[in-house]
Amino acid sequence: MIAAFLIFYITITLFAMVFLGIYGVATRSNLIKKIIMLNVMGDAINMLFILIGYRLVYPVFPPIYERHITFGEFLRRAVDPVPQALVLTAVVIGMAMNILLTTYAIQFYRLHGTVDARDMAEIMGGERE
Amino acid sequence: MKKDVFVALSLLTAFLFISYAVTVRDVLGIAENPLRPLGEFYLSHAFAHEGLTSHSPEVVTAIVWNYRGFDTLFETFVFFLAIMGALSVLRLTREQGMEVRALEAREPHRHMDTITRTTTKLVVVMIVSISASIALHGHLTPGGGFQAGSAMAVATLLLFAAFSKFTLERQGLTLRHTISAYALGLAIILATVIAPVLLYGGKVLEIDLLPGETGLFNLDVGEYTAVTFGFLTVFLALGVPEWIFKLVLRREVK
Repeated sequence: MIAAFLIFYITITLFAMVFLGIYGVATRSNLIKKIIMLNVMGDAINMLFILIGYRLVYPVFPPIYERHITFGEFLRRAVDPVPQALVLTAVVIGMAMNILLTTYAIQFYRLHGTVDARDMAEIMGGERE
Repeated sequence: MKKDVFVALSLLTAFLFISYAVTVRDVLGIAENPLRPLGEFYLSHAFAHEGLTSHSPEVVTAIVWNYRGFDTLFETFVFFLAIMGALSVLRLTREQGMEVRALEAREPHRHMDTITRTTTKLVVVMIVSISASIALHGHLTPGGGFQAGSAMAVATLLLFAAFSKFTLERQGLTLRHTISAYALGLAIILATVIAPVLLYGGKVLEIDLLPGETGLFNLDVGEYTAVTFGFLTVFLALGVPEWIFKLVLRREVK
């Protein structure tokens, strides 16, 4: 019961982090802050996936076969491997996207001396909001 | 300002709605935490059938490189595109590259004090050995090429901070070498993916046909090399001192 309550509590916190990330990306105009909030959002979503795959049994096993565990015991105790496989690649792709975004931000700063989205719009010939 | 309040309020409403759905209605199904049918299928089939085994007692690696191998293969290509995007933004022409190198040669070689450098040396050795064990045992213990490559990238970042980029470049870790190593990693992956077609007449990525764990081991090693040197390439390109890059680039803009 307490464990289920804790799981709900963590889930709601993670959702709060996701919405905080969306808010940050939508309202901040500094590109670096946008990237940071994007990371907060991505990590919260990844952790949510891992949490969905977790199981509330006491000795919980990783999804790896071992010789001294019977097969039925393994199925009763092992966590769900599917979300883990999903998050595994998502983390590295997130890091690669991060590098791409940071590179663009740094390069824009080197060329024009600003990372503010409003200034960027002005420099690119648009209208300042 | 008014827009910020509007955004915050609408997100708060969505958050409350989702909280209600998750806790009271349990839409995610996490209250009982049963094993979902798909997870049960993977857990019970990954290593059980002798004819259809994925050669990996670790079910996550079995999913990543065997059941959903194409997914991971194309993730590798997404990673490739991200690295190439970053490099194409940071590219320089031949003359600009020579100018940057000439300016860099005149930079003083700064590094941190002895305590930091010694600690970094120790920690880097540990990180490298850990990442190698994560990569090479990826099909037996938790881990795999992706995670090991990320750990290794952290080790190189530590070296960048404690020593300078120039120290590493003097030791022979130049952009040309890291790009070649990245290409080598991708070549290992592609060779392993094509090998079942050429050697055994199977289909692409049918790595069960290769003897024993060769397929999974090769793919993990290839991914390890690719991720490590992909990150390292971008770090080296980003590591050019700010004022030199500005000096060369601003001239291009005008």
